[in-house]
Amino acid sequence: MHIIVRHPLSETTIPCISRLIHAADWQEREIEDLFGLHFEGHPRLGDFVLHEEWPEGVNPMRTSFDSTRVYPHRESEPAWGPQTIVEAAGAFMMPIGPVYSDHAESAHFLLETLGEDVLRTIPRFFYKYRGLEKIAEGKSVDQVLLLAERFSGTSAFAHSLAFCQAVEGTIGAEIPKRAQALRVFLAELERLRHHVAAITGICQSTALAVATSQASILEEKILRLTCRYLGHRYLFGLNIPGGLSLDLTDDTCKGISEAGWDVLEKLKKLQGMLRFTSSFLDRLEEVGMVSKDKAVSYGLVGPVARASGVLRDLRVVQPYAYYGDHLKFYVPHEEEGDGYARLRVLFSEAEQSINLMHQVSASLPAGPVKTRLDPAPGSCLGWVESPGGATFHWVRLGEAGRVLRYRVMTSSFVNWHGFHLAAEDFAFQDFPIIMATFALSNAECDR
Amino acid sequence: MMETGILFVVVFLICGLGVILAAVLPDRKNPPALAFVASLATLTLLWASGRVLFSDHAIFNSLWRVTPLIRLSIEIDRVSSFFLFITGLVFFPVSIFSAGYLKKYLGSYSLKSFALFYHLLFASIVLILIAGDVFSFFIAWEAMSILSYLLVNYEHGHEENTRSGFLMLAMSEAGTLAALVAFLIMAKTSGGIDFGSLRSLSLGQSARWGVFLLSFLGFGVKAGLVPVNSWLPRAHPAAPGNVSALLSGVILNLGIYGIIRINADFLPLKDVGQGLTVLAIGTLSALIGILYATPENDMKRMLAHSSIENMGIITAGLGAGFVFISSGHSVLGGIAFIAAFYHMANHSLYKALLFLGAATVDSRVGGRDMDRMGGLIRKMPWTSLFYLIGALSIAALPPFNGFVSEWLTLQSFLQCSALTSKGVKIAFALCGAGLALTAGLAVTCFVKAFAMSFLGMARSEAAQNASDPPHSMTIPMGILGIYCFLLGILPTYVIPQIDHVVVPFVHESALDALVPPFFTVGEGNERFPKAFVSEFHDLGAQVGSDTLPGRGLVIMHRGSTRNPVIFAMSPSYTIIVLVLLLVSGIVVVRVLTRKRALARRAAWDGGVRRLAPTMTYTATGFSNPVRVIFNAVLRPVTIQDSKETIAQHFLNAIKKDKREIHLVDRLFIRPIIDGGRLLAAWLGRMHSGRVNTYAAYVLLALMIVLMIQMLA
Amino acid sequence: MTKWVWKGLQTGIKTTAYPGSPETAAGVSPGRPGWKDPVERKKIMSLMDLCPTGALRPTEERISMDYRRCIHCFRCRRFPAEPLDWEPGYEWGEIVSNQGNLGKTFSNSLHIRIVDAGACGACLSEIGHITSPYYNIHRLGFFITPTPRTADVLLVAGPGTDHMRLPLEKVFEAMPAPKRVVAVGTCALTGGIFGKSFATRAGVGEIVPVDVEVPGCPPPPLAIIHALLVTAGRKKPPDAPSYPGTEREEGRS
Repeated sequence: MHIIVRHPLSETTIPCISRLIHAADWQEREIEDLFGLHFEGHPRLGDFVLHEEWPEGVNPMRTSFDSTRVYPHRESEPAWGPQTIVEAAGAFMMPIGPVYSDHAESAHFLLETLGEDVLRTIPRFFYKYRGLEKIAEGKSVDQVLLLAERFSGTSAFAHSLAFCQAVEGTIGAEIPKRAQALRVFLAELERLRHHVAAITGICQSTALAVATSQASILEEKILRLTCRYLGHRYLFGLNIPGGLSLDLTDDTCKGISEAGWDVLEKLKKLQGMLRFTSSFLDRLEEVGMVSKDKAVSYGLVGPVARASGVLRDLRVVQPYAYYGDHLKFYVPHEEEGDGYARLRVLFSEAEQSINLMHQVSASLPAGPVKTRLDPAPGSCLGWVESPGGATFHWVRLGEAGRVLRYRVMTSSFVNWHGFHLAAEDFAFQDFPIIMATFALSNAECDR
Repeated sequence: MMETGILFVVVFLICGLGVILAAVLPDRKNPPALAFVASLATLTLLWASGRVLFSDHAIFNSLWRVTPLIRLSIEIDRVSSFFLFITGLVFFPVSIFSAGYLKKYLGSYSLKSFALFYHLLFASIVLILIAGDVFSFFIAWEAMSILSYLLVNYEHGHEENTRSGFLMLAMSEAGTLAALVAFLIMAKTSGGIDFGSLRSLSLGQSARWGVFLLSFLGFGVKAGLVPVNSWLPRAHPAAPGNVSALLSGVILNLGIYGIIRINADFLPLKDVGQGLTVLAIGTLSALIGILYATPENDMKRMLAHSSIENMGIITAGLGAGFVFISSGHSVLGGIAFIAAFYHMANHSLYKALLFLGAATVDSRVGGRDMDRMGGLIRKMPWTSLFYLIGALSIAALPPFNGFVSEWLTLQSFLQCSALTSKGVKIAFALCGAGLALTAGLAVTCFVKAFAMSFLGMARSEAAQNASDPPHSMTIPMGILGIYCFLLGILPTYVIPQIDHVVVPFVHESALDALVPPFFTVGEGNERFPKAFVSEFHDLGAQVGSDTLPGRGLVIMHRGSTRNPVIFAMSPSYTIIVLVLLLVSGIVVVRVLTRKRALARRAAWDGGVRRLAPTMTYTATGFSNPVRVIFNAVLRPVTIQDSKETIAQHFLNAIKKDKREIHLVDRLFIRPIIDGGRLLAAWLGRMHSGRVNTYAAYVLLALMIVLMIQMLA
Repeated sequence: MTKWVWKGLQTGIKTTAYPGSPETAAGVSPGRPGWKDPVERKKIMSLMDLCPTGALRPTEERISMDYRRCIHCFRCRRFPAEPLDWEPGYEWGEIVSNQGNLGKTFSNSLHIRIVDAGACGACLSEIGHITSPYYNIHRLGFFITPTPRTADVLLVAGPGTDHMRLPLEKVFEAMPAPKRVVAVGTCALTGGIFGKSFATRAGVGEIVPVDVEVPGCPPPPLAIIHALLVTAGRKKPPDAPSYPGTEREEGRS
């Protein structure tokens, strides 16, 4: 469903819908900061994307905004204070970040507590805001492709695929079948690596050292495999509008999927051992619960939502590339919505990815791997089920293949919104574990 | 000695002068006058009681006969002089403190009446301790009760102060009545009411138990023992700061004085069961006291609960002593008594120090809630230093006084292996474990008290604008801090004095069993043979024998040949070693790092723009683990636990509120009150309102009286 | 727990022998452009148009390669009919400040504080791998600290976003001297594909003084380890170009 609202530039107030549709909460806050539109009825506007030192009244996504120069901060030292929600004697907040832990991404959390249990998590993001959507404006499709690929390196292929599909949709191009199949192959390879990295993160957060090492060894194996055959460890530089920049021989594909079976076998052994380690399960079971109702109302996506019983996967619901009738797979899901359910979903999806890679390599269509495209004006939406969940890239092209407007809706943005549901009424030590089970990316959320 | 008697008269005369000056001088001039006169009085008292304490000359004097039955007399023996000395030690700095502290009441309450009550209270306390017969004792006791009520209720503008004061008065009267009945039981058998004739009576078993229970629980009200101490956590915080110091430091001791007089002096306990009762109630008080002190955020209420804890430790020590003596182990009993008396002296000093510190903070910051303080160490450095000394002392950490007395108490518990009965030994083991738990919780409590109030960031405007008080308020705290330090590093000079105090009850000196005379024994005598002395000479036990007076600097309890040393320690040598290590450490660090540049930066906060005070630990948060662990004991009642949202999505507020009802109130007082109410309600049915029924009651009563008359 | 111990022992040693001997396994590094012979001018111009960040610059007959701008887009390798030669390897770290390495005191013990100044997940993932069993910096005496107070090296990745400017400055100030800053990844050196904009500085050099640079998008773990060894003084940074006919653009000093 595609709703277009026309609004005169002079009026800056729009009625808010997030009181009814809770998933719109953060989107409205983002629009308010970036576009300067005020959503009437939203109780929490302000200080979301642009932090307190940003000058007043300057909104980056306005077309009149000059994105190439640096804007001076406010003169006086602005005071930012979080809104305290817990009203109890002796309540206080534990600050985490933005610089914390070993190699965690920069983000700020305030945990409101009375001393033992944490009652409420107040996250603060956009420390990594690079203004992706604004600096893309005016650039050529080739340059914006690089931006789309590199703003979140761990899902680079998925984002570049969504962008390419948006551009290809604008032009209305027909992509060769071999390219479609290889795109699926590589997307699943990326999903496999992402999920193994997430499993490593979960084992690391519970300090199960040998399991962390085992998962980490598998992840490095996949990275080396990827680099050996495709040139780059994280699949950079492969998608181009019209297909792929590199062709793989059938034997190479078979070799990769054979190696994939090997990884799957080790992964299953790891899962088998983890299932019977009670100290590990104690930290995950019934910790970080997200109920199905809340997952639906917040519009959560990806493995996080599927672990809470929300069965939505763009590969099935809105097939793209080679998905659809050619490939048979099932979408793993669980009902409990706790950390262990999310871990099980990660393992199952990894298995399905290897299964899909095998199916593609067994029936790879012949033909060219790219076609020539001539960019034309227009706009289109491209979507992909990235390793983290549903991802949408919308692009409007102008003359000579210049990008006029660019919008990215990532899975991490949506899921970080729902993070506080899991991070309430828990013990402080469980916080890194809950975060690890969500396996979200701040770079993806902040853009 | 006549001279000492005259000194006591001088004390009363100075108090009288103080009363006159209080009435004559205007309000503004009263605090300094009070400080001056009261200091004079306390110094005289110290001199006078010191003479009795250190020289073994007791004073007996009968004053005058009121009626043939009642003869008023004075008796000042070593026990009274010990208590008098402690009273003087505490009253002296508190009086000086009052000069600056009372200024905050100028204009709102009458300072004349404060000074009046103060001097009269002092006089009444001295009278209690020098009284030689039951009548004068109780007159002085009542005077003290009423005057302390008047001082507790000094800020009578606040209704809760009046309620707390009234509760204190009511319970105190109940206790006084019980103690009076105990005295009367004894007086009935002895025939006279002076203390001399009450000594060594022969009473039957049940009468002895009756006297014991009545006096123990009766004076236990004043001493703050479970289950009759509900008034304490309410009354101490309600009083003005300097009066709280007196309540905790001096008046609680009077309860112990009463218990000692009856159960150790007049009618020594012979039954092991009685000693065990004392021991058990002492341990319970200690545990419950510290359990409620640790999660408490109000500084003065926390100190009040802590007073209950310390009184419990003293009582437990006394109980152990009673058990040892009644089992025939006099020396061990002496050790236990010495530990208890030492702890009492220590408690008076460091509790007074802490209360003065709390009063200072209250007057500078304007509140007692530790959640609203923080960072005061930068604004009030001297107060912080002295409060820290008090906190270290009460947490029983060397080199301060609390360490010595609590260590001695626990060590004396461990000597229960000398007893024969298994049940008694188990009881000792349990109580020892209870006291150890108390000690651990006490450290938590006072780490919280010091850290949350003085360290960290200021959590309120008032805490940010605080400043050090005038010297008249910091010098008294310094004096008390010095007392704490001296009593901590020179225990071997204090123990002989306490031993003299304790000998009349124990009938044997425990001094040789506690402080071996390394300085005076030379080559050795038959108790301390040459081999023993030379072995410890090599360890350094005779260091300082040429220059320092006294018996020695080592506290040691010797055992048999198989186990030659049961326990030993020397805070005096420890402090020397500590100082040497500290100084040498500083010198080494300075020398090694003289070429290094030192940079000072703010604390690392994770890169936030500004660390707000709300992002630092509060006192509630610090003590929450204790609340959670002891949830089953504390049984908090949830008053509110709700979440408010806007449109069921935007979380607006999470409200949590819990209240706790004190354990003793819940299990003991409330049932009694409810039972009393039930009884009254049942009896109330007699009030039918009809005149005929009342006439019938009159007839019934007449018939019953006639029947009794006929049968008797 | 014995099953885990047994599992660990069964898996054996996976760690690379680097820096004792070079790592030759396939897939440890994406490599970077390099060439053996001088290239014709015409070819140069067409290649230059392909490079999105201007890493290829002409000087007379040759191409000057500014690795600090290379974002591994592979266009110079895959698009032309005759692609540029590719140079395998991973020893990419260079010292760019006058301070040099940390000296003998720290050569066997380095404590590292990692800060994310806006990095995409790839650089952070590679940095995270330096403690994985394959690379394991602990055997070299390098450790990661949770606080900058005990850190010697500040490892930064990301183009230096506006919002991370203050936290990054605070981290740098909180580290005691002597300290070095290692900038990891092309974004941290020149801003990468984000460049200079209202939201990012072109690299972290404007916020903290950088001592050692590691180009790459992302630099593989071995490159990061090499840079740390250079910082600790255990490896000499390359001071001469490897192939004739190329010039490496001078780094900042």
